[in-house]
Amino acid sequence: MTTLLVAKQYVKTFISKYEVYLKPLLKFLVAFITLSMINGKIGYMNKLDSTAVVLMVALMCSFMPMNFIVFISAAFVVLHMYALSLECAVVTLVVFMVLFLLYFRFAPKDTLVVVLTPVTFSLGIPYVMPLAMGLIGNPSSAISVGCGIIVTFLINYIADSATTLSGMEAEDMATKFRFIIDGFLDNKGMILMIAAFAFTIIVVYYVRRLSVDYAWTIAIIGGALTNLMILLIGDLVFDTNVSIGGLILGTIFAVLIAKVLEFFVFNVDYSRTEKVQFEDDEYYYYVKAVPKITVAAPSKTVKKIYTARRRPSGNAQSRNSK
Amino acid sequence: MINEDKVALMTRMASYESGRGKKDIAVLNYFRGDYIGFRVLKSVIAATIAFCLIFAVYVFYNFEKLMQEIYEMDLMAFGKNIIVLYLCTVGAYGVISYIVYAVKYSRAKKNLKVYYGNLKKLSSMYDR
Repeated sequence: MTTLLVAKQYVKTFISKYEVYLKPLLKFLVAFITLSMINGKIGYMNKLDSTAVVLMVALMCSFMPMNFIVFISAAFVVLHMYALSLECAVVTLVVFMVLFLLYFRFAPKDTLVVVLTPVTFSLGIPYVMPLAMGLIGNPSSAISVGCGIIVTFLINYIADSATTLSGMEAEDMATKFRFIIDGFLDNKGMILMIAAFAFTIIVVYYVRRLSVDYAWTIAIIGGALTNLMILLIGDLVFDTNVSIGGLILGTIFAVLIAKVLEFFVFNVDYSRTEKVQFEDDEYYYYVKAVPKITVAAPSKTVKKIYTARRRPSGNAQSRNSK
Repeated sequence: MINEDKVALMTRMASYESGRGKKDIAVLNYFRGDYIGFRVLKSVIAATIAFCLIFAVYVFYNFEKLMQEIYEMDLMAFGKNIIVLYLCTVGAYGVISYIVYAVKYSRAKKNLKVYYGNLKKLSSMYDR
């Protein structure tokens, strides 16, 4: 355990030292992976479906705020959908607009979750999302993850029925439109997933805040079991064809990732190196404030054990005084 | 001679000023009623646009059915239903955004109070 803690401190020092470079790199990676996945899944527009374009856009994202990635990903999805058919593009655009107008005005910091949820789905580890957001987020993250699931299922549905859509007559717009919306809304798997994830996030959030020992571990395992139970029961009731083997494996994997996350996040005050400048009457100050890093040394406790010794002189004295 | 306590305090305050403080000060530039009212108005506009979008999708989805029945159906009742639905949606959304922004405002006020406390402490350091 001590080696792990030292490793944690090392990672923390490394991050606080090179944060200036690591942040753009991280943004670049997130943008690159996301855009590549979008192209892999629904790469209908040939102009966008090339590594050079993805690289260029990802590079641009690395210097922009995090939410720019969300905007670019949404634009990519809509453009690909447009190449497939106009109706798909309209439905996708309306869904994105409604999500943005109704929810993300309140929580602009949570928008990245909408991008990460589809990414975890296509990596086969979707159950990480509710555990992680329960650990680092708050109950309102349930809505963000829900939005992410809606986007995922919309993209998956259109990707799966692309051949049917392109086989339909171009004039028959209303039929195509109805086909997309019917298939998208009449998806019990999606609703079940949203409910399960939302409930899991709330459970994980409240359990991890309890003041009991190992609250985080209990929260992770409890959350994973809650998720598993809801999805299995939902599968029985609604017949949603969840693959049980994949569910269990995915859950185990999610627990492992959540444990790693716990190791790095738990007890970390999000303090980081800051550079500020100010002045007073006498000086200009250019201050670099570095948070103190405490190395967790194994503590030694010295326990003193006194054997009960009889003190004959004291007893004699007390006897005498009587 | 540099006063270390003063530097530490000033650093903390400067880091707040350049981070969260910027937002808090922007929030507290408004009176509470103005801030919340303005935000709720924006929310209502956003909700209206979202409602229109969803309604447009609904109309397009049922286009053929609506076209066939347009002469037979009670347009007044249909319109009334839509308006009631609209008012309910926007009302609920407005209430939620009122709560969210009220909480945001009071949080900003609390943070800024701490900041002003520190400012007072700093000025007392100069008096010494």
